[in-house]
Formats: sequence, C-alpha cells, structure tokens
Amino acid sequence: MQAIKIDESFYKVKEVRRLTDETFSLRLPKKQFKFKAGQHISLGIQGDYQSREYSIYSGEQDEHLEVLVKEVKEGYFSPKLSHLKPGDLVEVNGPFGKFRIDEKKVADHKFVFIASGTGIAPFRSMVRTYPELDYQIIHGVRYGHEAYDKDEYAPERHVLCTTGDKSGQVHGRLTKYLKKTKFDKTTQFYLCGNSNMIFDALEVLKDKGFDRDQIHCEVYF
Amino acid sequence: MSLEKRKIAFKTLGCRLNQYETDALVSDFDQAGYEVVDFKDAADVVVVNTCTVTNQSDQKSRNIISQAARNNQGSMVVVTGCMANNYKEKLEGQDKITYVVDNKRKASIRQLVDAHFNGEILHPSNLDGDVFQFSTVDKSLHTRSSIKIQDGCDNFCTFCIIPKVRGRAVSRPLPEIIENVKHTLANGFKELVITGVNIGRYEWEDKRFEDVVEAILDIPGDFRVRISSLEPDGFGDRFLDLFKHPKLAPHLHLCLQSGSDKVLLRMRRMYAYKRFESIVECFRVVWPDFNFTTDLIVGFPGEDEDDFQQSLDAVNQFGFSHVHAFKYSVRKGTRAERMEEQVPEKVKTSRSAQLRDQSEAMRKSYLNRFIGQKQTVLIEKIDEQGWASGYGEHYVPVEFKVDGISKNTFHKVRITKLKGENESLTLVGELELI
Ligand SMILES: Cc1cc2nc3c(=O)[nH]c(=O)nc-3n(C[C@H](O)[C@H](O)[C@H](O)COP(=O)(O)OP(=O)(O)OC[C@H]3O[C@@H](n4cnc5c(N)ncnc54)[C@H](O)[C@@H]3O)c2cc1C
Ligand code: SF4
Repeated sequence: MQAIKIDESFYKVKEVRRLTDETFSLRLPKKQFKFKAGQHISLGIQGDYQSREYSIYSGEQDEHLEVLVKEVKEGYFSPKLSHLKPGDLVEVNGPFGKFRIDEKKVADHKFVFIASGTGIAPFRSMVRTYPELDYQIIHGVRYGHEAYDKDEYAPERHVLCTTGDKSGQVHGRLTKYLKKTKFDKTTQFYLCGNSNMIFDALEVLKDKGFDRDQIHCEVYF
Repeated sequence: MSLEKRKIAFKTLGCRLNQYETDALVSDFDQAGYEVVDFKDAADVVVVNTCTVTNQSDQKSRNIISQAARNNQGSMVVVTGCMANNYKEKLEGQDKITYVVDNKRKASIRQLVDAHFNGEILHPSNLDGDVFQFSTVDKSLHTRSSIKIQDGCDNFCTFCIIPKVRGRAVSRPLPEIIENVKHTLANGFKELVITGVNIGRYEWEDKRFEDVVEAILDIPGDFRVRISSLEPDGFGDRFLDLFKHPKLAPHLHLCLQSGSDKVLLRMRRMYAYKRFESIVECFRVVWPDFNFTTDLIVGFPGEDEDDFQQSLDAVNQFGFSHVHAFKYSVRKGTRAERMEEQVPEKVKTSRSAQLRDQSEAMRKSYLNRFIGQKQTVLIEKIDEQGWASGYGEHYVPVEFKVDGISKNTFHKVRITKLKGENESLTLVGELELI
C-alpha cells in the first residue's frame, strides 16, 4: 500500500501583523523553505483555485517566512488574504525569480533600492539578509503611514517620498528625488513595484548615464 | 490474449516541446509493441497532447478531445499537456476522457496504458513524475529531433500561463543531455533542436546554457544544431562565440514581444528594446545574414498607437525573416487578464494586419539576399517529381531538383530564385556539383 502523502506545500498562518488599515503581513512557519533574498513565492488559499505572487518580506535566516500584502479593494485575492486568521492554511509554491543580490558585489558596491508601495518587500528581505550591505532605500508612497516597518532601517538609509502629505523627506514622486541625487558610477539599482514608476525611474537613471545591466527590475503590476 | 497489436494514435497541439514529448511517447509505445496509427484511424488508445497558451488553443484542444472520443467509441482517451494541468478537475469529470495526465507525469503514460490493459487500476497521480524521463526519439516523421534540456519557467510574464501550468524552471543534468544526444544521433537524426520552455535559464550545478550548447557541439558526427526559441535576457557574451562553430546554425528565434519599453515592462519582460538591439547588432556585425525571427504580441493592454508603431519599426530595423504575431487575447489566470485598458478587438485586428504586411515584406527582402549564395540543405522531403525540399543552415526554406539522392542528407545548393508568396515564399536552387 502506498503511504499517504502529506502535501508539503501547505503552511499554517502563524500571525497576521496589521501595518495599516489596508496593509498587513502574513507570517508562516519557515519549515525547510529555502530562498534567496529578493525572490517571490506564489500563494494560494485552501479551497480557492487562484494564486498570486508575493515577494518574501523576511530575511533568509529569519525564523518566519513573511509576506507583505496590500489589500486592493477591487481585487480578488488580496481581500481574501486579509481575512486569514492564525491557523488557516495557505499553499506556498516557489521560491521563484532572479531578482536577487549578486553576492560578489556586496562587499564593494553601493546598492540603491527604489520601491513604490509594497514594492519595498524584497528590499527588507535583502537588508535583513546582508547586514553589511551599503544600501539606500528610496520609498515612494502616498501617505507617511505607509512607510512599512520604517524603524527597522537606519534613518540615513531610508528616504521616504510622499505624494499625498508632507510627512516624507521628499514631498512628491520618488523620481523627483532621483533626478536631483548623485549616485556612484558603479551603484547597483534595484527597482520594485508598479510598472509606471519603474518606467519613469528607468528613464531618469538612463538620463544619468547608468547602464541597463546595473539596473534590476521587479514588476508587480 | 489477442495476438494483434494494440493500436494507438496521437494528436499534438501547441509548441515544439509538446511535439518532442509526443515523438518520445511514439517511440516508447512503438518499442513496447504497440502499433502507432494515424489520428484519423480507429485506435484502442488515443493520446491528446494539449496546449493552453491562448484561448484559441483551449478551444482547439477541446475540439480534438471530442473528436478523439467520437471516432473511437469505447477506446481509451488519455488527455495530457498544459490543458491537463490547467483544467485538471474539469477534464477529470468528463466521461469521454479515461485518464488526465499532467505534464510532470507525461513520460509515464505507457506505464498507465499497460496497467490499464492488464486490468490494474492506476491513478495518474501514482505515476512517476519526472519531466525528463522521456525515451530517445527514434521513430518520428522528422529529420530533426528536439533535445529537451529544460522545463518550466518562473518569469511570470503577465500574458503567459506557462509558469502556472509547467511549473518552476528545472534543468536536465548535462550528462543525461549528452547521452540523449548520442542516442538521437545513433538513430540517424541530422539536425538537433535544443528545446525547453526557457532554455536561456539553464542551470545545473555550475553549468549554464552556453556550456550545454558547447558540449553538444563537441560531440563528433555529421549533424547540425539549432537553438529553439530564446528570451533576450538569458545569455552572456560567450554565447556569440559559439556561433563560430560550423555545426551551430546561424539562426535565433529571439522573442521580442513588443517594441515599446513601456509595454515590455507591463508584460514583466525584464529587458529593454536597447538590449535586444545590441544583441542583434553584435551578431550582424560578424554575420550580416544572421537570421533573426521573433514573436510579437499585438494589442497588449495599454498598447497605444506609439507603442504599436515601435513594434512595426522593430520589424524593419531588425529585418526579421519571420514574425510570429499573436493578437493578444485575454488568457484566464494570467495577470494581464486583470489589467485595465484592454485594446478593442477592431483595433487589434487592424494592427495585426499591418504587422503581417510589414513582416511579409521583410521576409521577402531577407530571403532575396540569398539569391546567388549557397546553402547547405538538409532534405526533409522529396516529391514524386523529384523536387527535394528542406531548410538551409539559416533556416530558410529551399527547394531543388534531385536525382538519386535520399532524404535526411545534407547538400550544398546554389540559390537561383525566390518563388511563392508570403508565408509560402521558398528559395529555389540547384545542386552544387562538387
Ligand atoms: C513577482 C510579484 C511579486 C509581488 N509581490 C507583492 C507583494 O509583496 N505585496 C503585494 O501586496 N503585492 C505583490 N504583488 C501583487 C500581487 O500578486 C497581487 O496582484 C495583489 O495582491 C493584488 O491581487 P488581487 O487579486 O487582490 O487583485 P488583482 O486582480 O490581481 O489586481 C487588481 C489591480 O490591483 C492593483 N495592484 C496589484 N498589486 C498591488 C499592490 N501591491 N499595491 C497596490 N495596487 C496593486 C493593480 O492595478 C491591479 O491591476 C506581486 C506581484 C508580482 C508579479
Ligand atoms: S519567459 Fe515569459 S513568455 Fe516565456 S514561458 Fe516564461 S513566462 Fe512564459
């Protein structure tokens, strides 16, 4: 007789951490799950045929596997995720993707992380994984309270750009900050979030003479 | 027990990978003593290898399954391929289908069929799941055989269902690939096509795609190698040098998808137009006639007139000899399905027609430059009038008159003219006498 196979891709939600009214993080047990900072997983909900991709929000050595989710009101999947409670089952597939740090560059390169909204997720994972990283995060959001887990980053490494209020260091879009800032020639740029922001940021970086090979992109939508 | 051989028929839809996998199944059943019959003929088992890349391919797959069941009442109908992954439960609920086998277990279909005829009840989920388990093809109708080096893709392009149905990228160990190549060559194949879902992403131990191509090229023998479809972000500088090898055909199907950087980002294609341009330029500086073919999607959500114009310009700039143009259709389960700004059908149809005209003109101009040149043609077919046809090393179609030579052999042909129209454009030549 065949042994009953327990599906290893199902994980029990351990904790739901509310960050704002719309945004929360899901903490899952890490089990044997291995990934590289910057990669994403595909999440499914038990009994639902759909799945969505989410960047991993936790570091490689963290105790949990964590994702950061913004509930899109008119969306299908994220509202369902927001109703999950500790003990509910989710299906995890992955890790996927090439949006990762080139480890050989960690010691002698500067890293600039450019994120819109929840696009900050892979960067938190990178920062937690490589404590020695010489990085700067440029985070574009609407309102100041969307600067998720801001206190975890050294203040001089975190630039908040807000378009809807004046609480950020920069009032306006993050491209405004990019345009007026000087970066090292060999800087590695990582861009994550919505494609319009990425397109505009790419234009600015191209104008500044940076090569496409030093710019890495992860598009959410 | 009946002494008559059990009859089995196959039908394949979709990509080259599916074709390869069917070919391997044909070999497997043939060696096991089954009689492989045409899909139109009555069979005891019918295997439909489905595709689900577009809505049209879904519909086509459904029609073929119905046809298979109708023509072979009481026979075993096995449905496999991407549709079996995507609509597993739905298909399993249909009486006309005996078994639904997902891609991972496709290579074990003979085990399932054998068991069925031995009166055992085996559920497909109990079959071995190894995407590289396929036996070497030896009884295919082709002179070229695919070599599968990789399966799956985790790029999650927003229009593509493949990451959901083929699963994550997995690479076949290099020693297995080499063994497969040697078997295939021993079976008489003269052209090998390196195949997979996203072959540029090959990664096994410290070996990358270039290492695989190099290792295959280094195998002794009279054969040539072609690379199937490739993403423009998947390889480094070493790649170009490989084409100096006389066995590697100077042709690449490099998937551009759109000429607009904005649209490429919305598609989650992580390269820019400039990158594509620099690849093409690098090759054409060394080999001005290098053949580039591509895929382009027309009417992707948010594509405006300027974006589309950039796709048209790309066809001109890169002189593609063939453009596989897809009119964008909403694919269930993909991210693009949920995008706003879907382009109206009428606009898509009109853009498609423009793109087709443009690419046909480019095809003609590309083929024209071969007049007066030589191509080494692998003969695939010889008709009753003695006209041989096949492809030259640049993957250009060539016809020439022969006498006393056979299929599956290489011949130098001097091209004299171009005949036909549009997709049926063919070079005509004369056999070079050595
Ligand atoms: C590789 C990858 C990684 C991703 N990582 C994350 C992540 O870490 N956190 C996360 O919240 N989402 C992430 N997403 C987006 C996520 O997969 C879903 O699209 C999102 O949760 C919305 O799903 P939905 O079914 O509710 O709405 P959908 O029907 O999928 O989307 C509806 C619309 O909502 C908007 N939208 C989608 N995602 C967001 C978002 N994050 N913020 C604001 N608006 C959005 C878009 O306009 C989209 O067209 C990622 C996407 C990809 C491709
Ligand atoms: S690269 Fe993109 S289009 Fe090609 S299989 Fe992967 S997801 Fe699909």
